[in-house]
Amino acid sequence: MTSPMQLVIGNKNYSSWSLRPWIALKVLGVPFDEQRIVLRRAETKAEILRYSPAGRVPILRHGDTVVWESLAILEYLAERHAQLWPKDRAQRARARAIAAEMHSGFSQLREHMSMNVRRRYPGKGRTPEVLADIARISAIWAEATGPFLFGEFGAADAMYAPVVLRFRTYAVEGPNRRYMDAMLALPAMRDWIEASEREPESIAELDLYE
Amino acid sequence: MQLIIGNKNYSSWSMRPWVLLREASIAFEEVQLKFDDTGHVKGVERYSPTGRVPVLVIDGDPIWDSLAICETVAERYPEKQLWPADARARRMARSICAEMHSGFQALRAAMPMNIRSRYPGKGLTPESRRDIERVVQIWTSCRSQHGAGGALLFGRFSIADAYYAPVVTRLQTYAVSLPPAAQAYCDAVLGLRAVREWMDAARRETEFVADDEPYATRHR
Repeated sequence: MTSPMQLVIGNKNYSSWSLRPWIALKVLGVPFDEQRIVLRRAETKAEILRYSPAGRVPILRHGDTVVWESLAILEYLAERHAQLWPKDRAQRARARAIAAEMHSGFSQLREHMSMNVRRRYPGKGRTPEVLADIARISAIWAEATGPFLFGEFGAADAMYAPVVLRFRTYAVEGPNRRYMDAMLALPAMRDWIEASEREPESIAELDLYE
Repeated sequence: MQLIIGNKNYSSWSMRPWVLLREASIAFEEVQLKFDDTGHVKGVERYSPTGRVPVLVIDGDPIWDSLAICETVAERYPEKQLWPADARARRMARSICAEMHSGFQALRAAMPMNIRSRYPGKGLTPESRRDIERVVQIWTSCRSQHGAGGALLFGRFSIADAYYAPVVTRLQTYAVSLPPAAQAYCDAVLGLRAVREWMDAARRETEFVADDEPYATRHR
C-alpha cells in the first residue's frame, strides 16, 4: 500500500467518534491525511455521503476501500498494527468487550455530557442514569494495569479517550485520575485539545448548558 | 464455553452470537436467563459486570457485548472463516456490523424483536423507515459487491449474517414489504439451520415481557 490513508472527521470540539480512530493513528505514528467536515450544516450530510453511504463520520479511506464506524476502523488498523490489542488472548477478549461496551452503550452519558472540549460545565448533566454510567466507567478504569487500560495505549484507550475529555469538561471527580492524566499527557491528545480550542465554528445545540 | 442468553423471543443481542456459534457448528453450553417486566435479566450479575446478556464465558472469564463475542470467536476459530477472507469484504463486514451495533435506534425502538408475534404495519415511523432503507441499501451493496459465492451478504455465512438476522425477524414480524433482492436475502437467512432452530424455540416461549410488547393488547 503506497497510497496514504485519509481520515474523514467532524468538528474536533464536538465529534467524540472522530477522536477515537484519529488518536489511534497518531499514537501508532501512521501518517494520514485529515479531512474535516463541519457538522450540522445544511451541506454536511451531502459532504459526508461523498465519502461513505452510512452518512456518518469517522470514515477511513485507504486505497480503493472505505471503512466506517470507529470500532471497525480500529479493528482494521489492528490487522496491521497488532499492538492495538493486548498480546494475551484473555486480556484481548476483555479489551474488545470494554471497547464494544463503549461503542453501543453509555447513551445517557453521551446525551447529557456530550463532548465539548473547550467548554467547562462543572456539575452539569448528573442525572441518576448518567451517574450509573460514570460508576460503570470508574469500575472499568479502576482495573487499568497502567498507565493505560492494558499497559500501553491501545484500541480500548482510543474508545475511552473522549470520555476523559468529557470528565474534564463536566469536572467529574473520582474515576482513576492517573489514567486521565496519562491520556491528557499524550502529545496527540494535547494537539486535539489545542485544535478544538482554535476551531471557529460553534454549534449552539451542542453547547448544552449556556 | 458457555453462552448466557435471554429470552429467545425478545433478545436480539443474544440471537447474534448464538446463531453464529450454532451455524458454524462450534460447541457451547447454553445458559438461558429470563427477563423480568422491566427488561432486567435475573441472575446475569453472576456472569457479567455489565448486567446484560449475552455473555460468553471461556475458561471462567466473561466476554460481554455481542460484537466482542463475535470478534473473539472469529479469532479462536480461524478455520471457520467467520469474517470474509477477502480483505475488502472483511472491512465492509466489520463496518456494517459496527453500524448495526451502535445505530438503528429508531428501528429498534419502534420494532422490538418479537419472533412469535405478527404486527403488520406497526412501528413504521419516518425514522424507522429511514433505518430500513439504510438496511436495504447495506444488504444490496454487500450482495452485489461480495455476494457472488452464495445467497448471503458475503456469499457464504459470516458474522454479518448473524448480526442482521434479528433485523430479518423484525421485518417478518412487522410485515415490512421489501424490494425483491432484499426479500430474497431475508428468505436465505430464515432458511439457515441455526436461525430456524432459534425461531422454533422462540415460538415455544410463553413469558410475556411488557417492556418489549408495545403493540400487545393482552395483559394491559
